[in-house]
Amino acid sequence: MRRAVGTVVAAVALLTANLPVRLSGQDSQFGIRGLGTPGRWESVRARSTGGAFGPFDGLSPLMEAQLADVAQLTATAAGATSNRDAEVGGTTTALRATRFPVMGVAGPLGRGFAVAAGFTTYLDKSWDVTLRDSLPLRGVVRPYTDEITSDGSVTDVRLAAASRLSRRIAIGAAVHVLAGSTRMTAERRFDDSTFHPVQQSADVRYDGFGVSGSVLIGLAPGLSIAGWARSDNRLRAKVADTASAVTDLPLMAGGGLLIVPSPSARFAAAAAWRSWSKAGAGAFDTWSWSAGAEFGSRRMPIRLGVRGGQVPFGPGTKAPTEVAGSLGTGRAFAQGRAFVDLGLERLERRGGGLTERVWTVLVGLTVRP
Amino acid sequence: MTRRRLALVGAVLLVAACVERLTAPGDCPDYCPSGQITIVDTLLTTSINRDSSYRGYVLAYQTPLMLAAQLPGATDTLDSRPIFRINGIGRGFVLSTTDTGAILGADSARLQVRIVRRDTATHNLWVHLYRLPITIDTSTTFGSVVPFTDSLRSVNVDTLLAQPGGKDAVTGDSVVVDTVNHHLVLSLKLDAAAARYVGTDSGTVAYGIRIAADTRASLAFGKGTFGPLLQWYLRVDSADTPGGVARTPGALGAAFASFVFAPPPAPLDSTLAVGGVPSARSLLRVAFPRVIRDSSQIIRATLFLEPAVPARGAPADSFVIEARTVFADFGAKSPIDPRLGDTTVIHPDSTGTVKIEVTNLLQLWAADSTHPTVLVLRPQLEAQFLGEIRFYPSIAAARPTLQVTFVRPFRFGVP
Repeated sequence: MRRAVGTVVAAVALLTANLPVRLSGQDSQFGIRGLGTPGRWESVRARSTGGAFGPFDGLSPLMEAQLADVAQLTATAAGATSNRDAEVGGTTTALRATRFPVMGVAGPLGRGFAVAAGFTTYLDKSWDVTLRDSLPLRGVVRPYTDEITSDGSVTDVRLAAASRLSRRIAIGAAVHVLAGSTRMTAERRFDDSTFHPVQQSADVRYDGFGVSGSVLIGLAPGLSIAGWARSDNRLRAKVADTASAVTDLPLMAGGGLLIVPSPSARFAAAAAWRSWSKAGAGAFDTWSWSAGAEFGSRRMPIRLGVRGGQVPFGPGTKAPTEVAGSLGTGRAFAQGRAFVDLGLERLERRGGGLTERVWTVLVGLTVRP
Repeated sequence: MTRRRLALVGAVLLVAACVERLTAPGDCPDYCPSGQITIVDTLLTTSINRDSSYRGYVLAYQTPLMLAAQLPGATDTLDSRPIFRINGIGRGFVLSTTDTGAILGADSARLQVRIVRRDTATHNLWVHLYRLPITIDTSTTFGSVVPFTDSLRSVNVDTLLAQPGGKDAVTGDSVVVDTVNHHLVLSLKLDAAAARYVGTDSGTVAYGIRIAADTRASLAFGKGTFGPLLQWYLRVDSADTPGGVARTPGALGAAFASFVFAPPPAPLDSTLAVGGVPSARSLLRVAFPRVIRDSSQIIRATLFLEPAVPARGAPADSFVIEARTVFADFGAKSPIDPRLGDTTVIHPDSTGTVKIEVTNLLQLWAADSTHPTVLVLRPQLEAQFLGEIRFYPSIAAARPTLQVTFVRPFRFGVP
C-alpha cells in the first residue's frame, strides 16, 4: 500500500512539474501556416484506443454526458513526449517535444449529477522555423538567416456538468473559455555584419468562448451510442492590447458507438466533423474516425486502436491526411484509488509535400482520493 | 524494490524527454509563417540641415604632442616646429646643508626628446635644434619666432640609428628604440657652448626644433610624461675647490611645450570643417523621420559626406574623425555624449566620398526620443594631427546624406 502511494505521488509530481509553463498538445508543421495544431481532447486511456473511447470515457474532455457515470471525485493528468520526423523537399528534420495535453477533475454533486473542470489544449502554437535566403540591399545581394519562433498555445478551460436522466439516457453541457498566449520572435542575421541583427518579439494573447452539449444513450445492455456538438465563436489575437487578428472557429459534431460483449472485452468506434474552413484560407473542414478495443480487467487492461482523418491546415486545395495506430495499458494501485496509464502512438501525416511521422509516448495518472 | 527501480527509471526518462527540439528548416511558403521580416532601405537626402562648424576646441599647447613637419605643397610649404621652454634651477646650487654655491655655468647638458610618431618611409631625417627666446608662451606664433637663427645642433636620425648601439661616439648623441611604445628616444649632447647656463635667466632655456628629410618629413614629439627632458652638468662655485665643483642636478622637464606652424588653417566658411589645429568640429542637425523613429528597428545607418576640397595634412598622417551625438544642442558648446561614437579614417589629399557607419547613434535616437538628433563630427585625437577635411554643407548640392536600413514591425499574431 505504502509503495503504491509513493509511486502515485512520484507520478503526480512528474506530471505536474511543468504545468505552469506549458499545457499544450502535439505540434505539427501543418499548423505553422494556419491557426496551429488542434489538440486531442482525450485521456491517455482513450487515446490508447485511437480516441474511440473518448465519447465514453468520463475523464476525456471530448464530451460531457459520460461524466454522469463518474461515481466519485477523480482527477487526471496526462503527459506526452513526441519524437517527430518532418520530411519535406527531401530533407528530414528530427523534432522533439513534451506536452501535458489534459488535466481535469470531476466528481458527483448528487444522485445522477456530476460536474467537471479542467484544461486541455485547443491549439498548439509552438514552432521554430529557420530560413536561409538573400535579398539585394544597397546594390549587393546580402545572404541572411531568419529564425521565426512561436512558443505557447491556446488552452480550453472547460466547466462541464452532466446528468443521468434515466437508466438509459445521460446528457451534459459545458462552457469553454479559450485563453492562452504565445511568445513570438522574429530574428534575422545578415552574413554581412555591418547590418545589425534584427530582433523583434511580442507576446500574443488569445481569447475565445464556446459551448458544447452531448448525449449518451444506452440502447441495450452492452450497447451505447453517444453524440456531441460544440460551437466556439472566434479566436481573437491581441498584441499589446490591440487586436491583430480575429478568426472564426469551427462548429464541431461527432458521435460514437460502444459495445461491451463481456466484462473483459470492450469495443468502440467514433467519428467527428469539424468546420475548420471557417478559419480562412488554407483551412479545411475535417472528418476523423477511430476504432479501438480494451481487453482484460479494468485493473490492468490492454488497449489498442486506430484512427484516421484530415488535418485542418495545409497548403494546396486538399486537406492533409493523418492515420495513427496506438496501444497501451494501465495499472491500478492503492486498491483502485490510483491508475497509471501508459500508451504508445505511431502517427503519420501527409499532404502538400510534407510527411510527418511521430512516435508519442503517453503517460497518464488518475487519482480517486 | 523492483517497482521502485522502475519508477526511478521512468522518472529519469520522463525528465530527459522534456528537452525540446522544435527548430526546423522552413520550406516556404507552404510551411513558413505568413509574416515576413520586411527590410526598407532609404536615402535621406534632405534630413540633414542647419549644420555649422566651429574651431578652437583644442589648441596647440593643449595637445599631448608637439608636431613637426616640413611638407612642400603645390602652393606653399607646411612648416610645423615644436617649441618648448625648460625653467632653470636658479642662480645657486645647494652643495650641503651649510653651503650654497653660485652656479658658474654648465660644462654640458643632455637634451632628451621622444619621437612618438613618425613615417618609417621617411629617409634622411634631420632634427635641427635651435635656441629660442625664453619669452615663448601660449601666444607665440610662427611668425614671431621663425626663422630660427640660433642653431645649436643638427642630428641625422637615420645615421644615428645605423651606428652601433645607436650611439655616436664623436658627438655623444644617441638614439634608443622603445620597442614597447614604438618610440625613438633621442638624446642630444650639448657642449659648453651650446649648453649655455645664463644665471640672470635662472638657467631657463627655450628651444625650437625644425626637421627635414628627403620626402614627407612629419613627426610628433612627446611632451609631458614623454619629454622633453634636460639634464644639466653644472659647474658650481666652491670655496674649497678652485674653479668650482661639478654637480648634476635632477633632469628638468618642459614648463611649456607647444608647436607653431604655417600656413595657418583657412578661416571657417560655409563648409563643414573637421580637424586641424586648433581643432575644428562640425554639427549636423538631423530631422529624424518619425516613421523610422517610432515603429521600426534600424539595422544600418550610413552618413555620406562629400569633401569640398582634398583633405589637408601630412601624407603619412592619416587621421581619424568620429561622429558622436550630443546631450543637448547648445551649438559650439554642445556637450558630447561619450557613450557611443563611430569613426572613419581620412587620408590626406583624398577627395572620395567619406562614409561613416552611424547605426548605433541612430538606434540611440530611436530608443530615446528625448535625445537631440544632432551629429558632431570631430577628430578622434583633437589637434594631434595637422590634417583637416572640409565637407560640403547641407546648402550645397553635394550635401550630407543619411542612408538608413530599417525593419518594419513584424506582424505578430496574424495567422
